[in-house]
Amino acid sequence: MGSILGVSKKQAQILCVGLDNSGKTTIINKLKPKETQTEDIVPTIGFTVEKFKSTAVNFTVFDMSGQGKYRNLWEHYYKDAEGIIFVLDSSDKLRMVVAKEELDLLLQHSEIKGRRIPVLFFANKMDMKDSLTSVKCSQMLELEKVKDKPWHICSSNALTQEGLHEGVQWLTGMCSHWAAAPSSSECRPAQYFKHFRPALF
Amino acid sequence: MMLRRDKKDEEEGASSNPFQGLEKSTVIQEARSFNETPIKPRKCCHTLTKIMYVLNQGEQFGRTEATGTFFAMTKLFQSSDVTLRRMVYLLIKEMADIADDVIIVTSSLTRDMTGKEDLYRAAAIRALCKITDSTMLQAIERFMKQAIVDKVPSVSSAALASSLHIMKQNPEVVRRWVNEVQEAASSDNIMVQYHALGLLHYVRKNDPMAVSKMVSKYTKGGLKSPYATCLLIRISAKLLEKEEYRDASPLVDFIESCLRHKSEMVIYEAAHAIVNMKDTSARELAPAVSVLQLFLSSPKPTLRFAATKTLNKVAMTHPAAVTACNLDLENLITDVNRSIATLAITTLLKTGSESSIDRLMKQIGTFMSDISDEFKVVVVDAVSSLCSKFPRKYTVMMNFLASMLRDDGGYEYKKAIVNSLVGIIEENPEAKEAGLSHLCEFIEDCEHTSLATRILHLLGQEGPRTLNPAKYIRFIYNRVILENAAIRAAAVSSLAKFGAHCEALLPSILVLLERSLLDSDDEVRDRATFYLSVLAENQKALNSAYILNGLSVSVVGLERALHHYTLEPSEQPFDMKTVPLDTQPFGEKKVKSDLGPTSRPAEKASAPTQEIYAEQLAAIPEFAHIGPLFKSSKPAELTESETEYIVRCIKHTFSKHVVFQFDCTNTLNDQQLEEVYVQMDSAEGFEVESVVTAPVLKYNQPGITYTLVQLPEDNTEVSSIFSNTLKYSVKDCDPNTGEADEDGYEDEYVLEDAELTFSDHVQRVMKPNFMASWEEIGDEHELEETFALSAKTLEEAINNIVSFLGMQPCERSDKVPEGKSSHSLYLAGVFRGGVDVLVKSRLALQDTVTMQITVRSTDPEISELITSAVG
Repeated sequence: MGSILGVSKKQAQILCVGLDNSGKTTIINKLKPKETQTEDIVPTIGFTVEKFKSTAVNFTVFDMSGQGKYRNLWEHYYKDAEGIIFVLDSSDKLRMVVAKEELDLLLQHSEIKGRRIPVLFFANKMDMKDSLTSVKCSQMLELEKVKDKPWHICSSNALTQEGLHEGVQWLTGMCSHWAAAPSSSECRPAQYFKHFRPALF
Repeated sequence: MMLRRDKKDEEEGASSNPFQGLEKSTVIQEARSFNETPIKPRKCCHTLTKIMYVLNQGEQFGRTEATGTFFAMTKLFQSSDVTLRRMVYLLIKEMADIADDVIIVTSSLTRDMTGKEDLYRAAAIRALCKITDSTMLQAIERFMKQAIVDKVPSVSSAALASSLHIMKQNPEVVRRWVNEVQEAASSDNIMVQYHALGLLHYVRKNDPMAVSKMVSKYTKGGLKSPYATCLLIRISAKLLEKEEYRDASPLVDFIESCLRHKSEMVIYEAAHAIVNMKDTSARELAPAVSVLQLFLSSPKPTLRFAATKTLNKVAMTHPAAVTACNLDLENLITDVNRSIATLAITTLLKTGSESSIDRLMKQIGTFMSDISDEFKVVVVDAVSSLCSKFPRKYTVMMNFLASMLRDDGGYEYKKAIVNSLVGIIEENPEAKEAGLSHLCEFIEDCEHTSLATRILHLLGQEGPRTLNPAKYIRFIYNRVILENAAIRAAAVSSLAKFGAHCEALLPSILVLLERSLLDSDDEVRDRATFYLSVLAENQKALNSAYILNGLSVSVVGLERALHHYTLEPSEQPFDMKTVPLDTQPFGEKKVKSDLGPTSRPAEKASAPTQEIYAEQLAAIPEFAHIGPLFKSSKPAELTESETEYIVRCIKHTFSKHVVFQFDCTNTLNDQQLEEVYVQMDSAEGFEVESVVTAPVLKYNQPGITYTLVQLPEDNTEVSSIFSNTLKYSVKDCDPNTGEADEDGYEDEYVLEDAELTFSDHVQRVMKPNFMASWEEIGDEHELEETFALSAKTLEEAINNIVSFLGMQPCERSDKVPEGKSSHSLYLAGVFRGGVDVLVKSRLALQDTVTMQITVRSTDPEISELITSAVG
């Protein structure tokens, strides 16, 4: 429809990273149109390319493998990424430090460091009994120190799609905004702690 | 850039290559466009083609370059353009080995192979198998199993063919897929069935029982695919070659039934299998030959070619059967396809009767100039085999060969003709004079140095013994005047042989040789000087030792011995007897070309292997005192095949010792053997002096242990039987890691006996002029005995004697002319320690063979030893 009107949708290339078994592929799978979703999700080896649409942007996602031995391959895809989705397993407290380490490496990488690209965090598996809140996650990752990039964190449950929509909306906003004014001076980290977990504690 | 190329196009016409002169660096630069968004499929496709082109031109990509390009290419997975994606698959396969981290595309490929787009699936499987190494195989196993039984034929075929490749590295994984493969084998698609059967066979190829089960299952029916049927015929034919399936009539019946198959391919395969079987009876052969005969008149050139080629091959083994096709073959002589014509005519030559030869030869002559050298060689081979079949026709053949020799042709072609002529001369004494004069004529105008020297050598050997030796002198001396140094040297040697053999010619030869004293080449001058001074002595023994029969030592061995001698100068003169002898390859008889492709080339000369042994043994300090290696035997198996341990024994003879070398292999993957040695027990006199153990014998890694045995002082005892036991300490080990336990225990394993025979003490030596050597040794230590042998024919008797004594038959005396009832055999050899031994044995055939043996040697003990050993 857009093409008829002469205005095509904005295209955005997104990189989806995170530790193994955090739910990257599951999230991406749920974001895809219903008819192209797959039934069984297996550990990704290397990467897969997926496409999905939001209201204003067509996303192309490079869904990277999270296994330790393949994480060094992420950097091959940094250069063209216009946004990053970082998926956390909020029930895995033990490895939160590993996630932090990978995040720091990512943000310090020469191809990411100087660019103001949006980073969306999914604190996934919020339905698990002893999962951390998104606030707790952002504290553990010391997200408050990330000043040069717009970022957003939201709790999610990929299986029920809870929280996914909100995250994508934010990313859509960032991408279309970013496209309109790529050199905008200041981007406030948006809506900090909007989503508190439903009170389990 | 575009402009320039257009201009070039015009100049070079339509054939110019748009990728000509592409540079790697430019192409790599261009590959950066893969990172752009959105992707431009057409442009990227073009770039991928360029990379492919550059790679296939042999350009080397560095690891980083390749990896960079590879990762850029992975971004093209964003695009859903079919052509682009397929091009990406191709390049993934191409770059799988030169880029790092290629497994990055694993998930993308597995998604494509399980996806809905059939166009992607087969190619994705092929690419996936190429990038997957053994550590990653587990991850894709499930997908492969599914793909093998996929209902889309191309997917299933791709999976099967890829499994075959995986099989080479990881057989155990593919074995787990056998059920799926079996399911695929009952597919309706001809390719899937063929690939499945191929894989099934490959999985079982080391297990004859399983193969035979599989064959009997599928021969009962169920194969629709002609390709699969052809494969099954081949597998069956292979099985029939083995002893235990020789009488497996169901297999024979199956192949025979395929002669009535509706596919021409299957019919041909079946016929081909039948005619190539060993010991096929005429009854079995007839139907096969008759289908081939039908093919001969087929309008399809491929069928005609296949049938003629097959008939050509079997013409020698089953001439009678092929004769039936002669009429059809005659028609093919004028076939427009020259290859078919040549094969037809050579087949006719092989089967033809003596009377038809003249006509056929004339016919070949008409188109010899039209065919390529390769086929000319086929004709030459056919003619020379004809000569041995019809010796009386030698004049026709020889004239034919001689006229071919005059025509233009390459080295291989001329060599084939010269070989045939030499063969005829050797086999047929009547043809000798005519043949030699043809060759003389040839060297008058021969551009191939190696052929000329060879012919000169032959002239020197055969010429002096002809009726009129003088007539060859002119041809040989012409070479001395006209040719290059190598040929001049050969001619000088050849002249000297005439001088040594024919006293009448001696004065003239001396004159001719004197002229070469001032030759510009060192070698020619040296030879002339040497021969002149030997001839001037005018002594038979000297002539024999230095001119007629040259050195029989191994050249490499001589070089090494001399080098050794110069390193450690001593007062004593250099002793030629310490130099290892040149080993004559066993069964030196020329492999006849007419036996067809079934005959294997004669075993390669053993000299190089003996050099290797000599070096290995010299490196062992325990064997430092026993002198130089005299002879090494062929390896003998001391275990059955497929037992726990495999042991081969090689006997190395020294002047006073024998070293037994045991090559051991441990075939148990859960054991590690240590301190391995062989305990040998034998009759008195043979004492084990020392043992060199193999410290560790790991799974499938061969190790060597040696046992040094001292031979009895008394030379009359030479043969003995040793009983052997393999002794070692066993440690259990983990089959996967190969790590052995701490503790081991002693164990032993009984091996078969090793036999030391007379032939182990004797080295074969070729004496080109046996009678001269016979006179040279003299009759001082001559012994004579007569024996009755159990052999029924002269050939059998000769074979027995030669293999028992281990000596070299000289003067082609191991060949018995047909229809003779008596024969003389001349054998030459050297006993360990360097004692020359010559044996003349006269054989007479009545009901059994009677042999009178005369032995001459420089040592009386040895003469006695031989006569007693034979008895």
